[in-house]
Amino acid sequence: MSAANGQYDIDLHDVKKVFSGRVHALRGIEMQVHGGEIFGLLGPNGAGKSTLVKIMMTVVRPTAASGTLLGKPIGHKRTLARVGYLPEHHRLPAYLTGRQVLEFYAALARVPRKVRKARAGEFIELVGLSDWADKKVSAYSKGMQQRIGLAQALMNDPELIVLDEPTDGVDPVGRRDIRDVLVRLREQGKTVFLNSHLLSELEMVCDRVAILVQGLVVQQGTLDDLTAESRRYEILIEGPPPDWAGEPASVRVEAAGDDRSRLIMISTEPQSVQPIIDRLRGEQRTIISIRPVRETLEDLFMRAVTDPQTGRIMALGARRPGGAGGKGAGR
Amino acid sequence: MTVFLAMLRDAYRELNSKKLFWAILVLSAMFVLVYASMGFDDRGVFMFFGLWHIENDVLVKGSPMAALLYRGIFSTFVVPIWLAWVATILALISTASVFPDFIAGGSIDVVLSKPIGRVRLFFYKYIASLLFVLLQVTLFCAGVFLCMGWRLADWDWKIFLAIPIVVAFYSYLFSVCTLIGVWTRSALAALLLTLLLWFGLYAINQTEIILNLVSTEVAVQMDDHEQRITELKTRRDELRGQENDENEAALARVETELGNIQKEHGDVERMLGKLTPWRGGVRTIQVILPKTSETIALLDRALKRETDVNLMDLFTGNVSRDSSGGFMSTDTSRDRRVRQRLEDEYTARSLWYVLGTSLLFEAVVLALACWIFVRRDY
Repeated sequence: MSAANGQYDIDLHDVKKVFSGRVHALRGIEMQVHGGEIFGLLGPNGAGKSTLVKIMMTVVRPTAASGTLLGKPIGHKRTLARVGYLPEHHRLPAYLTGRQVLEFYAALARVPRKVRKARAGEFIELVGLSDWADKKVSAYSKGMQQRIGLAQALMNDPELIVLDEPTDGVDPVGRRDIRDVLVRLREQGKTVFLNSHLLSELEMVCDRVAILVQGLVVQQGTLDDLTAESRRYEILIEGPPPDWAGEPASVRVEAAGDDRSRLIMISTEPQSVQPIIDRLRGEQRTIISIRPVRETLEDLFMRAVTDPQTGRIMALGARRPGGAGGKGAGR
Repeated sequence: MTVFLAMLRDAYRELNSKKLFWAILVLSAMFVLVYASMGFDDRGVFMFFGLWHIENDVLVKGSPMAALLYRGIFSTFVVPIWLAWVATILALISTASVFPDFIAGGSIDVVLSKPIGRVRLFFYKYIASLLFVLLQVTLFCAGVFLCMGWRLADWDWKIFLAIPIVVAFYSYLFSVCTLIGVWTRSALAALLLTLLLWFGLYAINQTEIILNLVSTEVAVQMDDHEQRITELKTRRDELRGQENDENEAALARVETELGNIQKEHGDVERMLGKLTPWRGGVRTIQVILPKTSETIALLDRALKRETDVNLMDLFTGNVSRDSSGGFMSTDTSRDRRVRQRLEDEYTARSLWYVLGTSLLFEAVVLALACWIFVRRDY
């Protein structure tokens, strides 16, 4: 399913979760994920990310929720046969080998015996654990457990893959491998829902992101859309700024040190920069560099979690009535 | 079915990884070996494949008494002491962590995200967890079956009734272990509270046995009194009809004895009157609780044959041949009659009462555990 035919793979409305009648972990989530995209969910600790994922995967029961997962209502068990899930801090049965883990969870997802045997070998190779396939999971390192966890999430050939902190404990090589797998999955038309606090990881692979703060989605969209306001071109030149700089209202000037100047042009269109370049060339100015610049995901995230009135980072954790949240509340 | 088989296979692999499972299996194998080492020849009974010999005229090869002893050791000692006591404690230690581990954070998440309803998941896991005892008892029974066939040439398939009986017995306790495990998420709490409940059941059972024993002894005593009173009254009437000096003295003795017995009878009757409400109360409590001892005793009932005499009579030597060449108990004491009456009473308790009410208890406990499992956020 995709947005093209009017439906989203994940379409959440007014998702709420109150723990013990006091801790408001989610306060009405509105979120849409298109088919075939990698979607990143970000948020500070205790923002409710894992709770939201667990509600989608029926691990936690929502206080209120409407919406669909792959076109079926949230909580519809049979739909989960089309979903793969890797939870945060997962614990795989230590008495099983990597291959047995894959076959066991695939059987729970009702994958036929022959298919799961074939896929187990295929996915073990995909996550680079061929030499460890028949060793007990108890002997695996954290990174290897993440890899086998990712493989188990793929065993039922899911249309939607939900990954909660998939690179947690994984070394840089492993992270790159996991990123490659995610990209390959997107190329196969699968939807990937990624929950992570590693912003640089998300920035590299995500098509769209949502930022969750204190149980609410505060920003949602493509990285381009979310950073549109901050997108600009920076032209670095030798010498002082030209006299005419600032005449077009969209051009700002900054000193860049070492007898250099920086012209900043707020625009997303490369065509709009060309007249400035022509004029600098006409004046025989030395252009050192021209580069498009935009806000990083980290900048965007920090902006989202900063209180615009006080300029301070908003309180972490879920909200309690009449007070600020606390880290890890609601767990 | 795919899901259930997968969970069953997973349970087997989990057992396979537990050292305690193999330790119990080895101990069971040793029991079977010792059992197999026992046999009979023309001179009596031997142990350890003939290393230790006991001369006996009754317990000889081919004798029904030898067969009774061999089968009785299995149903009266091995099953209640080894399978239903020591092996059960070890099995509980080994499986108490099954549900707490299953619902631990990070472990349950993956399973719950699969397309299986929580109720089904709970019961599949529960049934798969009984595999521990099922495998142990099955292998043990198979060993005992072969021993009996070899030593007695008696291939009695009823031996395998021990499998459902012991599994049912274990499941009463494991249901409680599951409830506490799901509720507290602690294997230690589950184990300790289950053992505490088991001890409580044992205490109630023993109380009922003692009250039953005393009541039955009193009832038998009253029967004896009534019989003696009837005899004495008849004798008194006879003496009254033939009055002379000699008879007057005898009449006086009869009337004194009659008075004493009637007084004693009254005392005993009052005692029985006091015991009856206590006995009724304990029986009422017992009705709603699982009947662990009585469940295990079902095997003894199932294996017992018409020709069998009481194993206790065999050990005390109160056995002789009857006119048809069979064996009969020679003990006619009051204790023997009390024992017989108690045995008759316990045997009269129906399968529905013993198994049905116990399984009902288990169903209620499991329903509660399942409710907690289904309603919880993980």
